[in-house]
Amino acid sequence: MAKVAQEMVKKAGVNLDELVELLVANAAAELTTYYYYTILRVNLIGMAGETIKEIAETARIEDRNHFEALVPRIYELGGKLPESMVDFHNCSACPPAGLPQDPTDVKATLKVLVEAERCAVRGYTHICNLTTGKDHRTYDLALAILNEEIEHESWFSEFLGEGPSGHFLRRGETSPFVSKFLK
Amino acid sequence: MRNFTIKELARYDGSDGIAYVACAGKVYDVSRSFLWQRGKHQVRHRAGCDLSEALESAPHGPELLKRFPVVGRLVSTD
Repeated sequence: MAKVAQEMVKKAGVNLDELVELLVANAAAELTTYYYYTILRVNLIGMAGETIKEIAETARIEDRNHFEALVPRIYELGGKLPESMVDFHNCSACPPAGLPQDPTDVKATLKVLVEAERCAVRGYTHICNLTTGKDHRTYDLALAILNEEIEHESWFSEFLGEGPSGHFLRRGETSPFVSKFLK
Repeated sequence: MRNFTIKELARYDGSDGIAYVACAGKVYDVSRSFLWQRGKHQVRHRAGCDLSEALESAPHGPELLKRFPVVGRLVSTD
């Protein structure tokens, strides 16, 4: 048990129970997003769909990585994952990224994807704000995830024609920011 | 448009499925939102409250609340 680690976080003025609940909710968002993105990716077909498939796949894999990276911190801080997958799904910090009514509508799928990423960007910004200068390890983790979520948002936003993102597809391995937590 | 005092608003805390929140004088019905299940939002926020102040430090502005139906106005009891 990471007793002193928990003590330090509490002593810094962080509400530990609240933080753990937030981390669990965001871990749920990551794993459920991984699941829903699997369905979205499968349906990204045709000329327009295939164009987006690769970034949807990268975002999907990185969201699963985010889940994997969050879990150890949840347990370090004395929390745990709900035993029921249903409970876990329903406590997600973000709504389900479900298929649009017309699964062939690529623009509608892109809107689902960008909304999911925006929810994540808000969530990790919130965790960074709560932990900055107080809980260094959670802050470092949340910031690493935030960096990747911002890139995901940019990719999808660019396809929606909202403006240039300044980002490119990943070259090489996935999760350039979060991978240090996965080793 | 119905008028709510802060005391009346507090009844709609989501415990019986109806969740209302106030912001900048408007009362919104967030009952159907996935993010307001059981009247709780992102661990920290509760339905049945005026969230105008909390929104100032939130990672989003009131624009997200505008997606929900307005069910009334928050009025002062003075």
